[in-house]
Formats: sequence, structure tokens, C-alpha cells
Amino acid sequence: MQKSLSLNLSAALMLCVLTGCSSSPAAPSAEPDKPETPAAEPAAETAPAETGTVNTVILKEADDKMINTYTLLAVNPESPFTDADGNPVDGVEVNTAGAEALIDWFLSEEGKELAAAFGQEEFGDSLFYLLDGAPVFEGEITPATEETAQIRLSTTTSVNDSGLLGALLPVFESKYGYKVEVQSAGTGKAIAAAKYGNADLIFVHAKAQEETFVQDGFAYVLPGFDTERLSFLYNYFVLCGPTEDPAGVKDMDSVLVAFKTIAENKYPFISRGDGSGTHTKELSLWPEDLGITAEADSYADYTDWYISANAGMGACLVMAEEMHAYILTDKATFLTFQANNGN
Amino acid sequence: MLGAFITAWELIISGDRELINILIVTAKTCLTSSLIALLIGVPLGIWLGTTRFKGKHVFIVLARTLMGMPPVVAGLLMYMLFSGVGPFGKLKLLFTVTIMVIAQVILITPLVIANLETYVSPISQQIYETAFGLGLGRRRTFVLLYNECVYPIFSTYLLAFSRAIAEVGAVSMVGGAIAWKTNVMTTAIMLYTNRGSFTLGIALGMILIALSLLVNIAVTMMQRRLSA
Repeated sequence: MQKSLSLNLSAALMLCVLTGCSSSPAAPSAEPDKPETPAAEPAAETAPAETGTVNTVILKEADDKMINTYTLLAVNPESPFTDADGNPVDGVEVNTAGAEALIDWFLSEEGKELAAAFGQEEFGDSLFYLLDGAPVFEGEITPATEETAQIRLSTTTSVNDSGLLGALLPVFESKYGYKVEVQSAGTGKAIAAAKYGNADLIFVHAKAQEETFVQDGFAYVLPGFDTERLSFLYNYFVLCGPTEDPAGVKDMDSVLVAFKTIAENKYPFISRGDGSGTHTKELSLWPEDLGITAEADSYADYTDWYISANAGMGACLVMAEEMHAYILTDKATFLTFQANNGN
Repeated sequence: MLGAFITAWELIISGDRELINILIVTAKTCLTSSLIALLIGVPLGIWLGTTRFKGKHVFIVLARTLMGMPPVVAGLLMYMLFSGVGPFGKLKLLFTVTIMVIAQVILITPLVIANLETYVSPISQQIYETAFGLGLGRRRTFVLLYNECVYPIFSTYLLAFSRAIAEVGAVSMVGGAIAWKTNVMTTAIMLYTNRGSFTLGIALGMILIALSLLVNIAVTMMQRRLSA
């Protein structure tokens, strides 16, 4: 019975896809290039989802091209803050002491150990790994005072939804007396919140966007560290798709070849399309000559297979499951999705 | 869907602490914003419906247009104004219940004004004639008018409350859906949806409707008693 909602959704999605692209090989048929796939077939092929098990599986993982590095950045109190019209604004308050304490703790032995162990209990495998040569903090962490107790952390959905922060932050809070307010959104919005003076630190995973953030002067080097971008955790994005794997992605040497094959044969692919870190990574994996960027114009010609969902990771996974599509996802969200039986 | 029903029921009887917190924040936000909107909107609506002046229709059209304001736009506007870099950043209201209430008041007050005006306008002439015939003074005329409006005021309140409790765009933008602080039912449903936990989302939706039902029953009973 739990499936009836997702089945309704699938029907609606199917309609969208089919009206938009009658030649889409939405069904994982043996001959994916055949454009005459009858419209009714994809719906029939979706039926196995009713059995209650997730059909989408991890096809490609631990590829160096898919490494996903998580970085902490403290917001510079001297940032060149501007209002919506681009006029400079002075005196924007940033809780630098609170942000510093939290970053110090994340990079301390305790913080790192907890982060690296997260997920072993529930999934039998760590969801995040410690980066070799990650910055280390060995000093004393400053406890909260009345002025510094409230820390505004702007982060990405993958960090929050995986439960990592829920497991880590209470330990930090009870030990040092801080209260961390977590806002989670795609990396794009998470960084924007800091630029609008609404965050004390950010915890994100999109290198290019982080570098722009640093270049624009919104970050600064904390005492005891030598760089603005404090990358300390990583995991791998995984390329998922239907078990049948019509594109044969599983046996390919590199994820770049996999993406090329998906594009050439027009297998349906779900893109987050929301400026998130996952979206940014996905954009970097397509063959350059396709010219796919975050701009809607750039994929206007590919709407028969490239589906820009503009939704969170979980919602996109449900969509991929129902449409038998390929999708790039962070491993943590996928494992949660799988554990929940696609619900 | 049965799964969602069961999940909803389990959540309620287990007295889940987070759910209770979300319910309290939701009730606080929506009840406050709808009451404030009522206090501002009712006098304005009655005034617009009873007086005649040049340019009155400009106000009516404006109120009616603002009824169509997308919640997310109201939220964005408040977000920009109350951001650290915005003109009101110093007040430090972003990501608090207060700013959520303000955003909702902006969203629903036009609804109250337009609705009251629509009700009062066609009857005001009649009431003034009756009052004139009875030789009533200004104050008693107003009391007579107000008595006529009790019933629609309750209905209008429910309209405002429904819009407040159902919207997600404004509260998620200015509230940030921060756990234990500004997370309300609709933003929690969005979070679960984004995680792909659809069943839990539906379960919360059912609880939200139940909450709405309780408020509607209470207000409707008051309406029947007070306007009989």
C-alpha cells in the first residue's frame, strides 16, 4: 500500500516524459536505440517496483573522478558584504568565535573520529572518510560565552540528510555549551546564505564554488591553519541506475566513458539541476562537446533524455527509480534511500 | 497510503519529542500571524467597505492583487530585508519565529481586507439607512455594523489561518527550517520529501490536516455561538 503514492507519481512522471519526448528510451529495452518504443511499454516495465525492493543499484563507485570532498569555511567578518543592489554594507555581524570553535572541534581528534565512524553502525560502512593530510587542530577549544553561543551553520543537504550532523553536533554542543543552528540547502543556496550575512560558517562540497567564495573575500584563514578551505572529509559520488544497466555502465573503465555512453544512446538521466554540489559534479562529467551547464538553454536540445529535476537528492532518487533512469548521487543519501525501501 | 496512516498514528501516540516541538512552533506561528492579520485587516476592510472616497478602488484592487502574492516571494522579500546585509539585519530576526509571523502577516492581511470589504460593501448602504431611520448616532451605527460582520469575520479568520498553516514558501525562506526552532509542519514535510521519505511526509500531512480540523471546529463553534 505504501507504494501507491509513488506509483501515482510514476504515472505522472511518465506522462511528462512521454509527452516531452516520444522517442525516449525510458524503458530499459534490449535495443535502446529503437525509437519506436510504444508509449505503453515503459509503464508496464515499471511494474516490478511494486515488489517493494529498490531496483536502482550502485553501478560505478570509487572512481577518482567522482571524489566528493567536504570543506569547512569560516565566514570572514571583513567580507565585502553587499546588499541586493550591490551597495557595500558595513557592520554585518558574524559569530567568528563560535565558527572557530566549531571548526576547531571538527578538525580535532574527537570530531574526526566521530565523523569517520559515522554510518558503520547503520550501514556497516563509513559514509565519510578522513582526507589524507587534512588540517589538524590540537589546541584548546574555546567554550561558549553568552555572545558566542549561537552558531549559524549553513550546509548542504547531503551532510544534514545523511544524519552526520545529527550524530556529531550534540556531542560538541553539550561539551562546549554552544547551540548550532543548521540550515541545509543545495551548495548554491548554502553559500548564498553566507554572502547575505546569514551564516557564520559553511560546510559544503563544490570546489569551484568554494574557490570563488574565497576569491571574493568571504572566507579567511583561521588562526593555526594555513588555508581558507579546510577540506577534511571525503567520500565518493556513485553513479546509480537500473539493475538491468542497459548502457553497460558497470563494466566500463571510467565514469567519463559511462557518461558519454549514456548521452550518446540517450538513456534517461536525472539531474538535480539545483546548483547543489552533486549537480556541480555531474556537470563536470559530461563530454565537453555536449556543452551541458547549469543554464537551461544548454540542455534544451537534450530534454528527450536529460531530465533536470530541480529537486533534492531523495526526490531525484525516487524519480530515477520510477523512470529506470541513471543518476549521480552521494552514497550516504543512496544508502538511506535503499534502507528505506525507496520510500 | 495505509502505511502513512499507521506512521501518523504511531508518531502521535509515541509522543515523538521532535513532532511535538514542530506542532508547537506551527501553532504558535499560524495562530499569531492569523490573529494579527485579523486585527489589522478587519478595521481596514470595514473602512474600505463603508466609506467613499476618490481612489478607493485603487486600494481594493491592490488588496485583491496582493491576495495572489506567492508565499515564496513574500519570504524572499523578508529574507532580503532582514538578512545580515539587509536594512533590518541588525534586528537579528532572520531564522526566528517572529520573522515567520511577519512574513505570514504580509501574506494574509490582504486576504482579510479584501474579504471583509466584499462582505461589507453591499450591506453598508442598507445599514446606514436603517441607522438613520432609527436616529442612531455614529457609535451605535458602528456597533450595528459590527454585529452584522461577526459571522464573516470568523469565516475570514479561518481563511487566513488556512493560508498561513498551508504555506511553505515564506516560512522555509525566512525560518530556515531549523530543527527545534523554526521547523514547522510544512517545512518538515518538505525536508522529508527531499530525503525521499514520502510516507513520513504524508503522515505529517495527515497530522497537519487534523490540526487544521481542530482549529476549524473550535472557530466554527465560536462563530455559531457569537453570531446567533
